[in-house]
Amino acid sequence: MSSRLIPMILSDDPSVRDRPLDACCAGASLSELLGECAALEAFRRQSESLYARVRALFFLYAIHRFHLPRKQGIADRGLIPFDGYEHLLQRRFEEAIASFLQAQASSGPSDAVSSALAVAYHRLAFQTLADQVRRSVRSVRGNQWMFRMGHPEDQPLRIRPELLRRRSGSEPYPVLRERTPVRMDLSHCGWSDIFFLGMDYPEGARVLNVSIDLGVRGRDAATRPPVEAYLRVLDEPVLRLTSIDLGATVDITNLVEVFDFARDYLGLLKAAVIAAGIVPPGLEGSGQSLEHLLHRIVAPARGIEIVSNVNGIPKGSRLAVSTTLLASLIAVCMRATGQAASLTGSLEESERRLVAARAILGEWLGGSGGGWQDSGGVWPGIKLIEGVRAGEGDLEHGISRGRLLPNHRILGADDAPPVARQRLQESLVLVHGGMAQNVGPILEMVTEKYLLRSATEWAGRQAALGILDEILAALRDGDLAAIGAATTRNFQGPIQAIIPWATNYYTETLIARVRAEFGDAFWGFWMLGGMSGGGMGFIFSPTAHRRAQTRLQSIMATAKQELEHALPFAMEPVVYDFAINERGTWAELGVGSDALLPAGYYGLTVPALLKNELDALVPVRRAELDALAEACRSDPDYSGLAHQLIERLIPRLRPAAAGEERLPDLLARHGFDPVHHEQIRADLRSARIGLAQNRLPANTEIQDVRAEDVCDATAPLGSELRAAGEEMLARGAVAAVSLAAGTASRWTQGAGVVKALHPYCRLGGAHRTFIETHLAKSRRTSRACGAWLPHVFTTSYLTHEPIEAFLARQRRYGYEGPLLLSPGRAVGLRLVPMVRDLQFAWEEMPQQRLDEQAQKVRDSLRAALIRWAESAGEGSDYTDNAPAQCLHPVGHWYEVANLLRNGTLQRLVAERPNLKHLLLHNIDTLGAGVDPAMLGLHATRGGCLSFEVIARRLEDRGGGLARVNDRIRLVEGLAMPREADEFRLTYYNTLTTWIDIDRLLAAFKLSRGHLDQTERITAAVRDMAARLPTYVTLKEVKKRWGHGQEDVFPVAQFEKLWGDMTALPEVDCRFFVVPRPRGQQLKDPAQLDGWLRDGSAAYVESLCDWRAA
Amino acid sequence: MDIKRAVITAAGPEQRMLPLQTLMDRDGVQKTALGILIEEVLGAGIQEIGVVVCPGDQGAYRAAGGAPGTRLHFLEQSEPRGYGHAVACARDFTGRDPFLLLVCDHLYVSRSVKPCAQQLIEVARAEGCSVSAVQATHESKLPYYGAVGGRLADTRPGLYKIDTVIEKPTPTEAEQKLVVPGLRAGHYLCFFGLHVLTAGAMALLTGLVDAAAPDQRVTLSAALSALAGCERYLACELEGRRFDVGAKYGLLMAQFALALEGEDRDEVLAGLIELLALRRQ
Repeated sequence: MSSRLIPMILSDDPSVRDRPLDACCAGASLSELLGECAALEAFRRQSESLYARVRALFFLYAIHRFHLPRKQGIADRGLIPFDGYEHLLQRRFEEAIASFLQAQASSGPSDAVSSALAVAYHRLAFQTLADQVRRSVRSVRGNQWMFRMGHPEDQPLRIRPELLRRRSGSEPYPVLRERTPVRMDLSHCGWSDIFFLGMDYPEGARVLNVSIDLGVRGRDAATRPPVEAYLRVLDEPVLRLTSIDLGATVDITNLVEVFDFARDYLGLLKAAVIAAGIVPPGLEGSGQSLEHLLHRIVAPARGIEIVSNVNGIPKGSRLAVSTTLLASLIAVCMRATGQAASLTGSLEESERRLVAARAILGEWLGGSGGGWQDSGGVWPGIKLIEGVRAGEGDLEHGISRGRLLPNHRILGADDAPPVARQRLQESLVLVHGGMAQNVGPILEMVTEKYLLRSATEWAGRQAALGILDEILAALRDGDLAAIGAATTRNFQGPIQAIIPWATNYYTETLIARVRAEFGDAFWGFWMLGGMSGGGMGFIFSPTAHRRAQTRLQSIMATAKQELEHALPFAMEPVVYDFAINERGTWAELGVGSDALLPAGYYGLTVPALLKNELDALVPVRRAELDALAEACRSDPDYSGLAHQLIERLIPRLRPAAAGEERLPDLLARHGFDPVHHEQIRADLRSARIGLAQNRLPANTEIQDVRAEDVCDATAPLGSELRAAGEEMLARGAVAAVSLAAGTASRWTQGAGVVKALHPYCRLGGAHRTFIETHLAKSRRTSRACGAWLPHVFTTSYLTHEPIEAFLARQRRYGYEGPLLLSPGRAVGLRLVPMVRDLQFAWEEMPQQRLDEQAQKVRDSLRAALIRWAESAGEGSDYTDNAPAQCLHPVGHWYEVANLLRNGTLQRLVAERPNLKHLLLHNIDTLGAGVDPAMLGLHATRGGCLSFEVIARRLEDRGGGLARVNDRIRLVEGLAMPREADEFRLTYYNTLTTWIDIDRLLAAFKLSRGHLDQTERITAAVRDMAARLPTYVTLKEVKKRWGHGQEDVFPVAQFEKLWGDMTALPEVDCRFFVVPRPRGQQLKDPAQLDGWLRDGSAAYVESLCDWRAA
Repeated sequence: MDIKRAVITAAGPEQRMLPLQTLMDRDGVQKTALGILIEEVLGAGIQEIGVVVCPGDQGAYRAAGGAPGTRLHFLEQSEPRGYGHAVACARDFTGRDPFLLLVCDHLYVSRSVKPCAQQLIEVARAEGCSVSAVQATHESKLPYYGAVGGRLADTRPGLYKIDTVIEKPTPTEAEQKLVVPGLRAGHYLCFFGLHVLTAGAMALLTGLVDAAAPDQRVTLSAALSALAGCERYLACELEGRRFDVGAKYGLLMAQFALALEGEDRDEVLAGLIELLALRRQ
């Protein structure tokens, strides 16, 4: 057949090329779409064009992810070949695709195999893009030689003679200082600075970018270029790297350590040293000597010291601080080695471009990445950065439509007159809202949507380009009100049309409150960078500017306080002072008594020096301290140093923060059992429990269930079941229980917030929390059946009080029925993991291998974490964090048991004698609800526990429904004897459970009459718990420090899981296969976009009634 | 183009003694490095030789020049202001004529019957413009040489039209500005230490010297860079190699090269093999 989609890839005609894929697929039949897939697969294999290959891959991804699963005739269940999955994990994408296609050919198209193909195509597409950017960066002229150089004798760089000049051997060498402003973007035209967008659609890649100096309001006396890099020669053959902001310094004496990025906090400095050619990337793995290399570059027995400083500007500022720091460090290294014409002052245009290219290289080396505008601070003032079509002579010619590096046009007085610049500074209030989030998933979504030409995305992109022209015109006119109106329209229109997740509840709250307070004097909102919540701009009438600066601080603080348990905040919000920097990056040379590093450097290093006798210091150090002492007396920049030194030499005893409870008190209050804890520790240390021991014995037989083992509820159930359920609802025979004890480990990478309170998505015109969504479903059900459904949220030490306070503030979302919280009755104390378990998790268990350089960084980080576990003491208590981050909930099995222990169930049955069933579900199973037909099915079948399962897709990992030694039960993923076993199981456990209360009590050897007997319940729970396995798991937990910095540690904890009830012979369990929208879970924010696009969100909305009485 | 004069620069503070070093030439005759250089010039048909020296060095150089030393014109560079300044000291000597320029710390070993200087002069005569001898050099040696960027000229193999001249570029700059099609990766055309320069080149150089501050050093490369912008200026790969006698083991390597090209080749080779055979592990 002839393809309708391939012409969309090949055509130069915009009316064909820019047609949305969705529209083309909507009317196609299953066989037509499969034909298109075969054609696209053949096309992408033979195409030599990068763009064509990538677009075909995204088409294939989207068809398998969004279109095929909805087509009549596709099997709604199937098995995914494990060998394909293994290929996928090892980044052998072509082999994975071949395996999945073979499964499709032999077993027919299925939802399961399509889910695997979608993931494989998606990852291959991004890998292809990443490979191309890497190739382009490496082949930039000026960078190539660094990859060829493999021996110190071949190092052609030499330190500039000015840096070796000193009057005597006891005088420190001169200090080269580079100061660089950061950049802010007035518009990025729909993230058009993503490399691939610029390389594919250079006409649409446009950014208005301003270099600024910063100061934190209330802390800094004046604004200054926030990023500083320093370089000087040392009298020792070492590479000394120091980050003042991260409080880290290291003397590197071998080349291996230079390439070990995650070993310490100095990875960015190492990447700069490499990307600047001082230790060229070609030397990695050469086995050569760093001293030899330094001899070659500097002199015999000499070294180099490099120091970075960002003056306490917090992480996540959306001002590209880390890229700017990389660029600044590269610039200072290039100047010092003669790679820039001028040792001091500004850089030439070609040098700036090379610094930008090398910053991209440095980011790749460090396993991160930004946009191409992020080095904008190297350039002066306000500039329009635009993509450029690749022409003959460009390295990209014939590979991509655009060049890797854009053009920077610095706007002169005609385009941005002085009065406009002045007004910008008088109107804009620049802030950091306190949220620091990973923008990576958003950038991937933007790329994907661009290539699929999603109709709303494409319209939004074109609108954003128009808005940029409006902003440029308003800048010419100095009309800040017009700029504010345009940036607001940009945020509310195109930006959110492309990526709805660019905004969040916190941002919307701030905008609404600012608007309410300032009225017409509030001219507009401006999102900085990839998403809102961190760096943001609010534009005001100059008359209101000063008041706005003051008020925004408290508006943000109040909103943050209200939402800090719901959203991941990394720091207290700050307001910046800023000024446009008109000279870009700039260097100065300090000689003699002026050859000093910044005060923070001495605050970090002098305490160690003072442990020695002053007379024992080498003369150079002594001379430097003399100069420092003089600076402390006369230079305002150094006047606070004495105070800082005292703080470091005599650290204060750390008091608990205001309102923060001490760990022992928290443990005591939440029912911590020290005896049980010691038993867990002893078992862990002696390897009686651990990750390897979680698994069922190797001789366990795991088989897929048979058709007769499950009840298929994917098709509409009979009306008699519905009628039975409605009747039970009407007489109050059922209650809903949502498990809300969790701390959103995956949702926020261990930030320790309450997932139930996360305003995850805008539904029905407003951001909704998980709790509100579940209540809205219960409201709808209640109104339909005429009786109010009781709704219980189980809580834990971390979630109870925040949920209670939040519900009070929200007036229980107006829920008219009984709304109860079931507080936790058990808590664990996290442990430093065993190295054995870390190695098992990272080496034995299958996991996604990362792109080459990112994997190197991850391996380096893991080696550092193993050293941490060894030094902190394997199996010892994890206490080096905020107290709440040291505790853990002990698994959802206890959340059900707690209903018995804390009196919630007793209260429910006392108030509702007819209550006979509970519907239990995870907080993130948004489609789960008290469906009358399902309730009727459960009641009719008569099981004690009826579990809902769904047909498995690739992303559904973590166990499933199986015949285990011929018994039908749920098996947790961590209990699977072999990884491949899970891939033989058709159904995934949703955990949603219909519970017959009396039969459950009977399983505990209890009855309703025992519900007021605390001791009997406690004993029954203990007896039951003892029969269930204890799993050891590794969880990521964030430790926050400094200015928005976060470290993530793996910690060990134990859990008992609800699904293991199916393993008990006396518990009568049934298994219902339900439609995917009802059973799927939202575990990761990166799922949200697909969830919104594949109809899942609409399904959930159809179950909800948001309107309170 | 009639080239009658040659200029040898020997005033660099670190190079002053190098021309006085003694070697055996191809014929097995003991000579100074300066003597060998003078023979190179005479072999190219040039009779008038100017040597730029530090004040007071004339006697030693005249003696080192051997028999032809009596014909040398000595030109003094009174203060060390760079290589370009040293060449400019010969402005009166060269007058309005093109001239051959050599550096005193290099020796040239030809692989053809014609000496290197003669090869270069023949090219300059044929092309009628300034020509610098160049040698493809690995990027790790860039800190030691001036380098040129350009493209192949159509007239003969190994001849390039120069667009850019940079003194001791970093590889970063070389990669951006000096990549020449046809060379191996990481190799650049670096100066060989032999040039034929026109009066125009000398004029540009003296202009730079006159415009420079008294303490400012002037490079020849700066003038040659300007020359590429206003005159046809070529680079030529010669059949031969240059040896920097000022480099570590440079004199030794030059001696080996001379000996292995000369009549004592077998004797020297045999000596080398014996050395290798008896070398202790």
